[in-house]
Amino acid sequence: MDQGDSSLHYVHIDEKRCTGCVLCMKACPTKAIRVRDLKVAEIVGTCIDCGECIRVCPRGAVKAITTGSDPSTLSRYTIISASPVLYAQFGEEVMPNEVLLALRRSFKYVYDQAYIHELYNVAVGLQIKENRDKEGAIRPMISPICPVVNRLIGYRFPSLVKNIIPIVTPREIAARELKRRLYCEKVFDTSEFGVYHITPCSAKMVSIKHPMLLKSSYLDGALGINEVFELIKRNLRDLEEDMMLHRSSGVGIGWGVSGGEIAGMGEGNYLAVSGLQETIRYLEKIEMGLFNNIEYFEFRACLEGCIGGPLTVADRYEAKRTVAKFVRMFGQEKRLKYAQAQKAYQEGWFHSEVKTVQADTKNRLSLSEAIERQKRIEEVFRVLPGKECGLCGSPDCQSFAEDVADGKVSRDHCVLLNLKNEG
Amino acid sequence: MAHLTKNYPIKARDYLRAGEVSMQVQGLLKSIGFVQEVIRRVSICAYEAEMNVVMHGGDGEMTVEINTDGIILNVKDSGPGIENISLALQEGYSTASEEAREMGFGAGMGLPNIQKNSDSLEINSEKGKGTEVKIGFKA
Repeated sequence: MDQGDSSLHYVHIDEKRCTGCVLCMKACPTKAIRVRDLKVAEIVGTCIDCGECIRVCPRGAVKAITTGSDPSTLSRYTIISASPVLYAQFGEEVMPNEVLLALRRSFKYVYDQAYIHELYNVAVGLQIKENRDKEGAIRPMISPICPVVNRLIGYRFPSLVKNIIPIVTPREIAARELKRRLYCEKVFDTSEFGVYHITPCSAKMVSIKHPMLLKSSYLDGALGINEVFELIKRNLRDLEEDMMLHRSSGVGIGWGVSGGEIAGMGEGNYLAVSGLQETIRYLEKIEMGLFNNIEYFEFRACLEGCIGGPLTVADRYEAKRTVAKFVRMFGQEKRLKYAQAQKAYQEGWFHSEVKTVQADTKNRLSLSEAIERQKRIEEVFRVLPGKECGLCGSPDCQSFAEDVADGKVSRDHCVLLNLKNEG
Repeated sequence: MAHLTKNYPIKARDYLRAGEVSMQVQGLLKSIGFVQEVIRRVSICAYEAEMNVVMHGGDGEMTVEINTDGIILNVKDSGPGIENISLALQEGYSTASEEAREMGFGAGMGLPNIQKNSDSLEINSEKGKGTEVKIGFKA
């Protein structure tokens, strides 16, 4: 991942709709947004595609770029692998199998990705066990599932990249195996089919186009849940097909909610944390050497987990209730054969390579230049009113001081400072 | 030579905000752009030193001095002082209060951890008057 390149993001601000308010800029956890002349917001810094800006924009000016559900942009033979979060979008009365059948009316080949989650749980358990007995074991290990967290670590906590567990994510395993199977069975010409992931997540596209944990993604694109919602709703009416597409137990479906991943791992010293601010707090502490008694962290950038994703339709708490119901209905008993999963693990079926993130050396200052810059920042910061209003176009006084120190804006942009001087 | 000094006050027995100072120090070093490994070691030491003041000290402060040679953390408090410094440097030796232990601190790893993660360590302490810990790191 080239972390310094801000063009590598799939969140887009529509200039025509943007009114230049400060909401998205304030919400951005990496402080990547500036509001130019209080007219229009733009992404100038390192964006991790978390979608916080999408959530807060009242005018719908911020969008995630996905493949979209327009059939003309998709491959001729489209295979859909659905995140179980999708199942929780239609209320408690609509069963996962019905959602999959409804999808099948439009896409023909549909796969229940939740089943792979159980396999993944086994692989992570084995990896942790291996790690436990190793000398100089890495602790804590971190789940690779959330692409926003991966990018956050790469960008703000590069020393923790090595803690990301090198296991391929279920969405990628699903895509890989689907392709392999269809190829072997010669169902149709491989050049003509593509595997698409239906997702609640604004960062799925970037993880497909610029993966951090694989050389290249097995997925061909991503569709937002919000983009297929109406279609599925329509297809759900007078559904007559009868076919079992749903294979997963409650374990795989439970993943949609924070804590669902580690729930599938059984007993152990694991912790699930959700929400971007909380995740940042924990990563800061891990970097300080705390929590080395914890073996595995499940981090989800979205509050309450993937059901809170920016591309969802259902309310996150209603979705949470629906997931809980399905978990009860389909039970905690896994539907896979453990020995088989173990064998696959030993054959390297799950292993991914975590790339070391290269520090951005392009515009790097020498240490003495960096110290001088820091002094300039402190100097500017000292005279600022500290009201964190954002009227200058930078998200807070600290960022404004940095922008002034770097010569990007003039100090005159601070409205309150000007008022005080006019006195 | 480029040089920067910053002061951070530390409040004794304020377990709620304990760790804030070391997080700010961590942020400062990241903003300047020190090597990851240096930041990690300084963060660990800053945290342990801050906790020592919170647990044992009267109020105190952490001074961070940064220049092109490296970083020096100077942590001063007006606490009870360390009676036996070589004992305090032993892993597992602790004089932490019941209160601190109940919060999960005071395992006797503070100073040993600092020693392990720093390039130089100087401890000056007088019983009843306070402690000054000077921790050095090469850039």
